[in-house]
Amino acid sequence: MSLEDPSRPELDIGETAEGVDYDALEALLGDHVVGRERHRNAEAFVVRPDEVQDALFLLRDEAGFDHCSCVTAQEYEDRYESIYHLRKYDDPTQEVGVVVPTATDDPVSESAEPVYRTADWHEREAYDLVGVDYDDHPQMERILLPETWQGHPLSLDYDQEQPQVVTFSEHANPLNEDQRAEADSDTMFVNIGPHHPATHGVLHLKTTLDGEQVADVESDIGYLHRCEEQICQNGTYRHQIMPYPDRWDYISAGILNEWAYARAAEDMADIDVPEYAQVIRTMSAELCRIASHMLALGTFALDVYGDFTAIFMYATRDREVVQNILEDLTGQRLMFNYLRLGGVAWDLPEPREEFFESIHDFLEDLPEKLEEYHDLVTSNEIFQMRCVDTGVLEPEIAKSYGATGPVARGSGIDYDLRRDDPYGYYDELDWDVITEEGCDNYARVLVRLQEVEESAKIIEQCVDLLAEWPEEDRTIQSNVPRTLKPDPDTEIYRSVEGAKGELGIYMRSDGTEKPARFKIRSPCFSNLQTLPEMSQGEYIPDLIASLGSLDIVLGEVDR
Amino acid sequence: MASTLPDTISSLFGLGGLVGDVVGSLVGAVLVGSLMLTMTALAGPWAKRKITAAFTDRIAVNRVGPFGLLIIVADAVRLLSKELIVPEDVDRPAWDLAPFVLASSALLGFAVIPMGNGIQLADPEVGLAYVFAVASIASVGLVMAGYASNNKFSLLGGLRAVAQNLAYEIPLVITAASVVIFAGTLQMSGIVEAQTAALGFGLKSWYAFVNPFAFLLFLVANLAEVGRNPFDTPEAPTEIVAGYQTEYSSVYFVLMYLGEFLHIFLGGAIIATVFLGGPTSPFVGVEILPGFLWFVVKIWAVFLFTQWMRSAIPRVRIDQLIEIGWKGMLVLSFANLVLTAVIVGVIA
Amino acid sequence: MIGLLKSMATTMKHALDGDTFTVEYPEDTPEVSPRFRGVHKFSQERCIWCRQCENVCPNDTIQIVTDDKRNGEQYNLHIGQCIYCRLCEEVCPVDAILLTQNFEFTGDTKDDLAYNMEQLKNVPWYKDIDPLASREPDRGGWINEGEGEVDYQ
Repeated sequence: MSLEDPSRPELDIGETAEGVDYDALEALLGDHVVGRERHRNAEAFVVRPDEVQDALFLLRDEAGFDHCSCVTAQEYEDRYESIYHLRKYDDPTQEVGVVVPTATDDPVSESAEPVYRTADWHEREAYDLVGVDYDDHPQMERILLPETWQGHPLSLDYDQEQPQVVTFSEHANPLNEDQRAEADSDTMFVNIGPHHPATHGVLHLKTTLDGEQVADVESDIGYLHRCEEQICQNGTYRHQIMPYPDRWDYISAGILNEWAYARAAEDMADIDVPEYAQVIRTMSAELCRIASHMLALGTFALDVYGDFTAIFMYATRDREVVQNILEDLTGQRLMFNYLRLGGVAWDLPEPREEFFESIHDFLEDLPEKLEEYHDLVTSNEIFQMRCVDTGVLEPEIAKSYGATGPVARGSGIDYDLRRDDPYGYYDELDWDVITEEGCDNYARVLVRLQEVEESAKIIEQCVDLLAEWPEEDRTIQSNVPRTLKPDPDTEIYRSVEGAKGELGIYMRSDGTEKPARFKIRSPCFSNLQTLPEMSQGEYIPDLIASLGSLDIVLGEVDR
Repeated sequence: MASTLPDTISSLFGLGGLVGDVVGSLVGAVLVGSLMLTMTALAGPWAKRKITAAFTDRIAVNRVGPFGLLIIVADAVRLLSKELIVPEDVDRPAWDLAPFVLASSALLGFAVIPMGNGIQLADPEVGLAYVFAVASIASVGLVMAGYASNNKFSLLGGLRAVAQNLAYEIPLVITAASVVIFAGTLQMSGIVEAQTAALGFGLKSWYAFVNPFAFLLFLVANLAEVGRNPFDTPEAPTEIVAGYQTEYSSVYFVLMYLGEFLHIFLGGAIIATVFLGGPTSPFVGVEILPGFLWFVVKIWAVFLFTQWMRSAIPRVRIDQLIEIGWKGMLVLSFANLVLTAVIVGVIA
Repeated sequence: MIGLLKSMATTMKHALDGDTFTVEYPEDTPEVSPRFRGVHKFSQERCIWCRQCENVCPNDTIQIVTDDKRNGEQYNLHIGQCIYCRLCEEVCPVDAILLTQNFEFTGDTKDDLAYNMEQLKNVPWYKDIDPLASREPDRGGWINEGEGEVDYQ
């Protein structure tokens, strides 16, 4: 962000024209800092576990780090560690880490929840999977695993073979007692999900209703938890991790997810990617984004319209075209496994002209189809009646919950990593970031529909570039060693703009060919946290619509 | 005026008196009932799928029999052979009665509908009032189903159904009353009779042509009355699972489903009779089809319309629905009534 | 009101144009792209039992049993556990394992999906297409081209 930018007349503390001045930040934090670490993406300050809030408040209020992107917890031989990855919504290239070491025998650290609301779930996850305890946290319980789970799966001494003994009392029908509320209760408790037509997977919303209005809603997640982080920690950097990102956000956003891993791993091991491969990546990633947004629109229509509306089928039909293109390119329709470290797996399919033709056909039909969606959906008065001013998410609240992607952009937050933290070929291309000021369900739908147009623009430019690319220069992979062993204790947090928002990967190497810690920052996980803010006091139909407009994929929420 | 179907039947059998009345009524009722059930069977498992598929660019059932028609048999066998699950703590017998109330209230309504070619079971002087009266018994069924199911989604659905029916029954009846002012009678055959007069351009004076505004009001209120998009809030599959019918399975589910479709057809039959001239062609002096076929075409047209709405119109929220009902439809229907009364008064 | 009518007109247009996008599957088999990844096919003649596929498999899907002189005895692949990532094909230096385009396979139990060497050899090509040719362009980085016809029995 340059000095001339009128929206930000003065620089934050620690901000220079070139980036972040970590010495100034250290001066700002003063005695809170007990050490400094150098991560690949940014420097990090080591902070005592009982001064976390003070340090984070300083960084947020004085230095402008208003986005707590991710909280990573991990266990070393001698200590536990929580890392808060902070960045700015205005300029995500300005990053800083806050490392909080805690003792192995008493891993208690102060919660960051009062500073960043998003830390609520992130810290619960850290507790659940790693075992770090957070003081002053409003609800320190397991979030992904069942309450009865014994041990923390990502801690070092966790025994994989250990049977999970669950007592009979835990098995008792949980409905028995709270089926009837107290006699004079005005509210009704309803379980929406895990089996419900509108939860987009297996999500459980513990809803308290006051008549038809939502008095309180609490998401219960984890039904689709596969511990993808552990799966990745058991895979080699070079090959075995890449097939799995496809399975986080499995709604055809595969290549976007793969790119998150590719970007982190390539930066970690200093791998160059040929420009030709970057263009192919950019093109295929945007195709994925279109497919993903199409489905988001279709399922949102299901939530608002009723069981089998035309919009869902039309969206599916149009998405099918994208999937055919992606199948020609990658060999699969959903689980692409197309990106490789240092490039992509395959050059464009022969004959290339035919392939370009199929993309051109799709892009040519797209405006007409989008027009149809606008006719069907956004211009429909009843649809507007349902969606305008419902599920309102104010930008400040969205920021404190770490909302990203179309959800943030629908609240007027101008934040898109493709532009703000450029990777791939995006900064060479001509496209716009879409924001809408509505902050409501309607704005989020509009953002998605317009982003499809923008993606189409990007794809068109990529196709033109690829068509004219000189034949001798078509390198799809750089020379990458067959076994990749990054230097020990390299730490990196890198994110890309996934279909649903900021998809980040934290990795720490220990000198072997497998990562010692692999943490996924899922955009849906953070976005879902905003649901209570959006739906309290509204009607059940709005709760469902808000949930649909968040466009969560439980595979990515639960990982 | 043609005699009613029971009279025709009893005279056909050469019976008279009480025996004739009983036999004629029974046979007639069976005939009309099976007719409507046949149409429902055609609509539920088959036509609805085909129509939805057409709107969504699909083919739908095409494997079982010609055009997939035998899916009706397959579905019937499937549904009836399923286990009837009775959830714990349901409020019997209300829970058992609800499906019957729903299905039978719709069937009762067909008793006074003139279907052309002399097919009409009874023609009381309060025909129109009778139809609305029995059709709204369905609300009782919905409450029973919703309350007795011991399920929160069912309860919400039941409550919504009642709120909705209350809000839309009144505009519906009042709009129909404006027609009564025109026709000067509540008798169904009288209303049909009144619509045979010439209007001009070779058209008959169907009340849909005479008072399109009332027709539109009635059409919309009817959508709400039968609980179809954009007013399908009592079921609202994505919000409250399936509303009042969440806990019903097997035979009871079939009855519920049947009742719903019967209500759509009854709504169609009322619209056809009150606004579309009943079993007649729209043109003066041109009767291309027999009256009964005109009637069938009309109610299927209304059915098609409900399915069309379903494909394109989002569901309104329950509070918006009530607001539209009480603040919009009610006011408009009263305005329509007063206006009609004044106009008719001035002309007369 | 205009928006409502527009919506209704749009769906009615679709209803009347008669276009459908349903694929009537068994009669009308889909065109599968040459790169499509389906069930594996194995060539015992080509296999050099280097175990690279077994090592690279992220899911432990492949199990190879050799005798003490490293002669191959068994090659088992659990196609129900496979995630069809194609890494085995990618690392194979001799094209001994290849993912056909065949997606049509069934099993009554999970065990039915654990294919042994004979079953893997007998996996049919989808529509009699050997997809190897269309996949070759990317393989230069991994292997050197051998001479002669590829024989999959």
